[in-house]
Amino acid sequence: MVVVLVPLLFAILEFGWLTQRWLAQDGVALQAARYAGELGGDRPELRSYIQEQLRLVGIEPSRVVVEVEPAYVAWRDPVRVSLRTDERIVLPFVFATTLTVRSSAVARGEVNR
Amino acid sequence: MTHDEGGTAAVTTLVMLPLLLSVLVGVLELGALRAVAYRAAAAADLATIVAVGDQDQSELARTGALRLPEDAADTARDYFARNLSGSAPALAVGADAIAASADVASFPTAPSLDPRTGARYDRPTLRLIAAVPVRTPGFALLLLPAVTTVTIRSASSPR
Repeated sequence: MVVVLVPLLFAILEFGWLTQRWLAQDGVALQAARYAGELGGDRPELRSYIQEQLRLVGIEPSRVVVEVEPAYVAWRDPVRVSLRTDERIVLPFVFATTLTVRSSAVARGEVNR
Repeated sequence: MTHDEGGTAAVTTLVMLPLLLSVLVGVLELGALRAVAYRAAAAADLATIVAVGDQDQSELARTGALRLPEDAADTARDYFARNLSGSAPALAVGADAIAASADVASFPTAPSLDPRTGARYDRPTLRLIAAVPVRTPGFALLLLPAVTTVTIRSASSPR
């Protein structure tokens, strides 16, 4: 019975944890996209902001791949910020795997150069 | 535990297993549905914020007053679709179709009254209401609807 009940318990805990991380990362991507629009693209301030926000939601920034497209955004053009993290999921007696958690958000350039 | 008690526990677990699995499937599906609803709401929020981030430039230069541009609603719809597309695998219809059918209303000047929600806006406002159909295969296993529609609302004003 342990072989059945333990994976059940771990499935609830692991996927709940994964969902929490996913939504937290989504929130950071959304705010980062807005900030990228304000800054006019990929700037050191944006990278620092993303790292700070990730730490605040309990995600180690060094594990997150950050992409900003385009690096230089014109006024009223879209800018996308994407975050990607590999998360390890372990269900005892069933399987262990790595899932890639992706978040992205699109905002608009607000700098009229 | 004696041999008989061990057997009883095994039989009880086997009898309860369908119920446990049903609860597990229901909990996971409900969690997934809430996650998609959260992402859709965030997409709507970002879309309306982006749309009100721009102003009618001629009005701003002429009077200094904030007034939404004529294309604010189209901008919100466009960015709603762009941000919703990240949840596309979980949606029963395409992000573009959901955005196209969303009720997006622009209230370029203030004060104004939203005839649909009854809300009164003291600033220029963009309001978006969308019905987002989400795939819920776990619910279908429990003989519940395979598609659950989530209604999201968002309104933003420039400051």
